[in-house]
This record gives sequence, structure tokens and C-alpha cells, in this order.
Amino acid sequence: MPTVPERLVAFLPNLRRFAISLCRSRELADDLVQTACERAILAADSFAPDSRFDAWMFRILRNLWIDHLRRQKTAGPHDDIDEALDVSVPSGEAATHARMDLAGVTAALQKLPAEQREVLVLVCVEDMSYRDAAEVLAIPIGTVMSRLARARKNLMELTGISFDEGRSSDTRGSVL
Amino acid sequence: MSKEQFDDETLMAFADGELDEAQSLALEEALAEDEALAERLAVFFDSRRLVGDALKPLIDEPVPDALAASVRRMVQAAEGNETPQDNIVALPVRPQPQARAWLMPVAASLVAVITGVIGFTLGRIAPSTVDSGTEVAAALDREASGRDVALGASGTRLHIVATFRDERGDLCREYRLTQPGSSTQTVACRQDGAWATRLALTTPQTDGYMPASAQETVDAYLASIQAGAPLSAEEERKALSP
Repeated sequence: MPTVPERLVAFLPNLRRFAISLCRSRELADDLVQTACERAILAADSFAPDSRFDAWMFRILRNLWIDHLRRQKTAGPHDDIDEALDVSVPSGEAATHARMDLAGVTAALQKLPAEQREVLVLVCVEDMSYRDAAEVLAIPIGTVMSRLARARKNLMELTGISFDEGRSSDTRGSVL
Repeated sequence: MSKEQFDDETLMAFADGELDEAQSLALEEALAEDEALAERLAVFFDSRRLVGDALKPLIDEPVPDALAASVRRMVQAAEGNETPQDNIVALPVRPQPQARAWLMPVAASLVAVITGVIGFTLGRIAPSTVDSGTEVAAALDREASGRDVALGASGTRLHIVATFRDERGDLCREYRLTQPGSSTQTVACRQDGAWATRLALTTPQTDGYMPASAQETVDAYLASIQAGAPLSAEEERKALSP
């Protein structure tokens, strides 16, 4: 069984993707990844070898991110997200639907509240089960499901809205 | 069967493959006759696919050199503190009784490098060859880590990977010089106002990336001089200012 430090290096691309997905700023993401690795090494003894390493690492990083949001002293995580986002959305091109979708989704993701965004990333990007996501977020599985369902409906609505705003021919419509 | 019994969370669980078999069968039957239900379900299939398409490719983004090097250093430091029963090569940061145990593996890996077994040549490893390139030295005095600097007209590029302190507190910088045809990874430390090369590994040009085995050698060397964690941009600026 590889040790925690041995696993860390191989897991860096995953951890970094998770961090960027949460906070969108690569600079902040890299800081979070670095600190998460330090924490993980210090807390290596508390990792149960038969449990999921990715879930354990995501939890450490996610808690650091939450700490960071708290330190921002903004009204709430939602505000912080809006400010922290630095995403260039491909624009102006007479794009295919797939491209429009991608741009719309990236823009819509920025607008979701932090708690919806994190559960969305764990399940739809990291392909975690509801149970594993619940473990990472330290919330009941029922809460994972209700947040996730809300996040996805919001996302699809926002996607529709952003198309309306950005382009004259919206064919997707919003799911209200 | 009434469609009212399928709430959003049930539909979502189906789209995510988390619905039990009995409920899945019931839903599939209902879907066959109920277009509105199918549309509600599509929201959950589409959202999963869209988010995945948007964010999954981030995993292919290269991890920045400084971050990867820093984590590797942490890992080596940690493994050095493991108990000897652990079935790994130990590279401790602190001088401890088991220090001799790691000298051998490190020495062995360096010998492997020197004899060319893994295909690159060792430049200088003896301490304190003063770096002859004044241009490089000037850049080391001045440039922040993580940036590419073009040197002269020869097409040589300097990339400073990180700044840190060794066990004596000397300021050290790890940098890579890329020339047409070859790339040299160097660790230099400031002594008496000059940059002294401590380790230099030259490898055939590999698009600016170090072969993993060369990087391991550099990392092993850094562990052996008990290199501290890379300085932050702020700390680096202070350390470099005259």
C-alpha cells in the first residue's frame, strides 16, 4: 500500500483540477494545493488506508478553501466566488452548439453559490458517488442530493439566460 | 403509474446511476409514456455532461514546475522521517542516526547517472564552481521565479524554477538553461555575493522538460542539502533585494 506522501505526487493533477474548479483562480488554486499537501503529510497518520485517498485529499483542500472564503470577510461565499473568478469565456465566435454550451456553462458555473458549486464538481467532474461527496463535505447524503439537484437546475437556467444575454438566437430555452 | 411520484432528486439519481433497480424500472416504464418527464430527466443528464465537458479537461493542464517541485520536496522530507520498516527510499531532511541509510541510495542513483545508464550526462557536481556566466548571475540576482528570460542572442533561455535556503541558510536558486539541443538544470547558492554552482545536470533537449530521472537526481540533491520549502514571491523579493 503506497504511503500518503507517495500518492500525493501522482494525485497532483487531480487535486489541482479540483482546486481550480472550486476557486477558478489558478494562483489561489496552486496555493491551496500546496497547503493541502503540507496538511496531508502532517496528518498522514489519520488517513485510513482502506478509505478513498481522493475523498480524503478533496476534503482537506475544500476545508482550506472554505477557510480562505471566511478570511475574505465578505458577506458570504457567493460574493467571494463572483470576485475570485477569472475566467475567459470564448466569445463572439459564431460557434457550434457545443462551443456555446461550453462558454455558457463556464459562465453559469461562476454564478452558482459555493455550496452548490462544490457538490457539482465532486459528482459531475470527479465522478464521486453521493455517499463519497457527502463524506468530503461532511453533510448528510440527503443534503448532497437536494443541493446537487438545485445546482443542476440553476445551472441549466443560467445557461439559458446567458445565451439570451449573449446571443440573439437562443434555442435551448431556460428550464424554469 | 402517476408521474408525480418522481421528484427531481429521483430523476437526478437515475441520471447519475444511483437509483436502485426497482425504482429505475418504474421510472423507465413511466418515461416511455411521458414526454414531460423525459424532459425533466434530460436536465440532469445534460447538466452532468456539460459540467464534465467544461471542467474535466483541466486535468490535462501541466502542474506548474514550482508547485510540483515543492510538493516533491515535501514528500521526500516526509519519507525521510518514516520509520526504517517502510519499504521506501528514505531521504531525510534532518540529520538523524539513520542518515547513513539514505546516503547509499542517493549515491547509487548518482553513480547511475554518471555512468550514463539512464542516458544523460552529469555536468558539474563538485561544490563551488563559480558560475562563469555573468549574464546568468545577473539574472539570478534580479529575476523572479517562474519566468522565462532570454539571454543574449544565442537563443539560450533561462527559467528560474524556485528559490529556497539550504541547511546553512544560504540563498539558493534552482534554474534551467535551455539551449538549442540541450537543457541544463542547475542549483546555485549565493556565497560571498556570488552564485556558486552546486549541481548541474545537462540533458539532451526535451522541449524544456526534465526527464523524470534527472528531476529525481536534482530532488535527491536538494533533499541532501536539506533544501527548505520554496520561498513565496514576497519572501523571494526580499531575499534578492540588495
